[in-house]
Amino acid sequence: MVSVINTVDTSHEDMIHDAQMDYYGTRLATCSSDRSVKIFDVRNGGQILIADLRGHEGPVWQVAWAHPMYGNILASCSYDRKVIIWKEENGTWEKTHEHTGHDSSVNSVCWAPHDYGLILACGSSDGAISLLTYTGEGQWEVKKINNAHTGTGPSHHKSPSLQIGCNAVSWAPAVVPGSLIDQPSGQKPNYIKKFASGGCDNLVKLWKEEEDGQWKEEQKLEAHSDWVRDVAWAPSIGLPTSTIASCSQDGRVFIWTCDDASGNTWSPKLLHKFNDVVWHVSWSITANILAVSGGDNKVTLWKESVDGQWVCISDVNKGQGSVSTSVTEGQQNEQ
Amino acid sequence: MEELDGEPTVTLIPGVNSSKKQMCFDWGPGEMLVCETSFNKKEKSETVPGCPVIYIIRKDVDVYSQILRKLFNESHGIFVGLQRIEEELTGKSRKAQLVRVSKNYRSVIRACMEEMHQVAIAAKDPACSRQFSSQVTILVLQGRLDEARQMLSKEADSSPTSAGMCRILGDLMRTMPVLSPGTTQTLTELELKWQHWHEECERHLQDGTFASSPHLESLCKIMLGDEAALLEQKELLNNWYHFLVTRLLYSHPTVKPIDLHFYAQSSLDLFLGGESSPEPLDNILMAAFEFDIHQVIKECSIALSNWWFVAHLTDLLDHCKLLQSHNLYFGSNMREFLLLEYASGLFAHHSLWQLGVDYFDYCPELGRVSLELHIERIPLSTEQKALKVLRICEQRQMTEQVRSICKILAMKAVRNNRLGSALSWSIRAKDAAFATLVSDRFLRDYCERGCFSDLDLIDNLGPAMMLSDRLTFLGKYREFHRLYGEKRFVDAASLLLSLMTSQIAPRSFWMTLLTDALPLLEQKQVIFSAEQTYELMRCLEDLTSGRPVHGEPDAQRLQDDDIETTKVEMLRLALARNLARAIIKEGSLEGS
Repeated sequence: MVSVINTVDTSHEDMIHDAQMDYYGTRLATCSSDRSVKIFDVRNGGQILIADLRGHEGPVWQVAWAHPMYGNILASCSYDRKVIIWKEENGTWEKTHEHTGHDSSVNSVCWAPHDYGLILACGSSDGAISLLTYTGEGQWEVKKINNAHTGTGPSHHKSPSLQIGCNAVSWAPAVVPGSLIDQPSGQKPNYIKKFASGGCDNLVKLWKEEEDGQWKEEQKLEAHSDWVRDVAWAPSIGLPTSTIASCSQDGRVFIWTCDDASGNTWSPKLLHKFNDVVWHVSWSITANILAVSGGDNKVTLWKESVDGQWVCISDVNKGQGSVSTSVTEGQQNEQ
Repeated sequence: MEELDGEPTVTLIPGVNSSKKQMCFDWGPGEMLVCETSFNKKEKSETVPGCPVIYIIRKDVDVYSQILRKLFNESHGIFVGLQRIEEELTGKSRKAQLVRVSKNYRSVIRACMEEMHQVAIAAKDPACSRQFSSQVTILVLQGRLDEARQMLSKEADSSPTSAGMCRILGDLMRTMPVLSPGTTQTLTELELKWQHWHEECERHLQDGTFASSPHLESLCKIMLGDEAALLEQKELLNNWYHFLVTRLLYSHPTVKPIDLHFYAQSSLDLFLGGESSPEPLDNILMAAFEFDIHQVIKECSIALSNWWFVAHLTDLLDHCKLLQSHNLYFGSNMREFLLLEYASGLFAHHSLWQLGVDYFDYCPELGRVSLELHIERIPLSTEQKALKVLRICEQRQMTEQVRSICKILAMKAVRNNRLGSALSWSIRAKDAAFATLVSDRFLRDYCERGCFSDLDLIDNLGPAMMLSDRLTFLGKYREFHRLYGEKRFVDAASLLLSLMTSQIAPRSFWMTLLTDALPLLEQKQVIFSAEQTYELMRCLEDLTSGRPVHGEPDAQRLQDDDIETTKVEMLRLALARNLARAIIKEGSLEGS
């Protein structure tokens, strides 16, 4: 029932670290340790290389597509401490901006909901998070949250100095306060901008933009006992609850939910404890399936069932001979 | 706790085997991307570069099947019709309606099956035609006794030795009691008759009437419902439920529905004979024979490769009020959950997504928000498609989506320098900020080229002009040009002045406006009144006072350069001259 419908040979010369579809599923961006970012047109099962973008001086960790209303824009972040924003102008892709405000590897980039404008959040191993806002005429304004993740909790690293670092950033979906009321045209609605970050201090943190434009730490979500590797804020499906998934070096994946409109009380639910590091979590577009990468070479898909329990619905596993035995081993639901 | 009866399905991604590598993945709008990676980030990768391939995976690939397409289209029509059935209809008429819907679905399925069958036959080797005896047997197994009898009589004509036997068997076939619709015969009467007939067949068998023809004897045994004889024809029967039907036809023709599942189970067991185990489809049928609706739905969900069948079936059952709600997080009940899954699948297809819209419409809980999420992701490859999508959103007052889509199209138009298109999209989006942006571009274009593009659009803005101040100015400014062109100078002049005095014109444009006033000032007749001339002078002095106005862009600030100075001089002169003439004119008597 799940089939491979297309394979894209990227011809990357080294390990691929991220692959992202654009908004419509027509283009694919990939990035690699070979320092390049590539863009393919994948319509109708094809694969046409559109661009091979060079500019980073180290492995590129992530790419992120901006909303199509801003044109064709892609952000990439790298070990070389840079964030580069690429744009397609008159049919060719070019570097349109380079952000060098970090002292070490930038691990994660995430575009804000398009309603807020063109804003990019970047999380770095130097423990800081920077926010780039496009202000027009090729100008980008930078706001930096220093020491966003600097901790001294337990971790797999012995040295406390290695507990500095932000590994992931993820924006909350845009919700207009009092969104039931129609906004008069021409007036910009008052959005409360929020995003989540996960770091080497084992914490998931929620950040909120204050009225003066500064970013403040709104919440600390504590449940992990080792580095938080990824956070993902679920898309809104019209219900008043907010949901965040986090995964960690400690092998656990938590689903955090907040019921009240003020967004103050978050409760974690353990999705599963895996045998190894969990690196990546990602919500499907309509927010009802969570994909989780286990350290055991599998990607598992989870869905919430009748009574609020999370159930594994499918496994995506890399090919290896007789798989049945290894599958059943990894399958134990330890809830 | 909801239990999964089986292990989750595992999908294997073909790729390089390595215990060191993992898979990284992400979601596309309708698919998943998977590729090999190593999450342990190190500066240099130690291992040999692995597989550089990205796999795009998807479920619901059936949506691309050509044959199923017709099924999806036609069942969509039936579905929508069902939703609109009058709620007030009760009792018999409602039941009749629902049965009709069921029959419609069934005929659509049948048509699809036949098409598939045609395709299958075409692929098959035509050289394997069956023997005569097999053909007759098949007809008997299918209960088509009239046709079987005709074939037998042909056999009787061609082979005198067996003629007698063929005739007798043919008679038995002809006289088998069946329940015909419209008779007044009761079930009990039928049973008696049938018992009688059954005994007659038995008698022939005992007497050895067909002893010299194994084939005919076998047929007689079949008609007696002899299990062993039936099982000998396994190959011709194909599967256990055909076996079930044949068996019941010739042994328990008046079987009651509640007893069906006993015979179904034993038929399954007999037919498989311990050699193979039941398949998922068998489980579905067994559940159906037990009239266990929930089990059927569950088995279908597991076994079938797409949600089409189970979604439509559940919906129909729900309308028949046969479904007890199971409350789910996604969808307030089972029906909605399945419809949402099915509709989501349709959105994977470049044109079938339109069917999905209607399905979402009839999901009261999460249909709307699901539609909002999906419809935004449809690639707007052509203007036609974009308009289609927009119409759907507008019909449902999905203002956010309309705005978002129009904005995307407007921006695309601006990038391609199609300003008229950009403007109409921003108007449709009711996006004032964007309308201002595009209007500015128009004005800038005008300054550079001296003429307007897309005059049609600007001339016919109507009330949309009010969307933004800049747009209003653009419309009015164009009106000024029109009035001038029609030689309605006095009106043009008033309009021009009002554009400045009402502050609708951006400061940066005032110089252009004043320059536009020049030809009006130098006409033979006096156009601007004295009062108006004073106003113009005031505007000019305001502009040239050199004070930067707060908030205005630098770009068009008065420059200290020769051309500008000359312009200002010319204007001052023209204004002074006009003032003089106006004063004289106004101070004179009529007719002077």
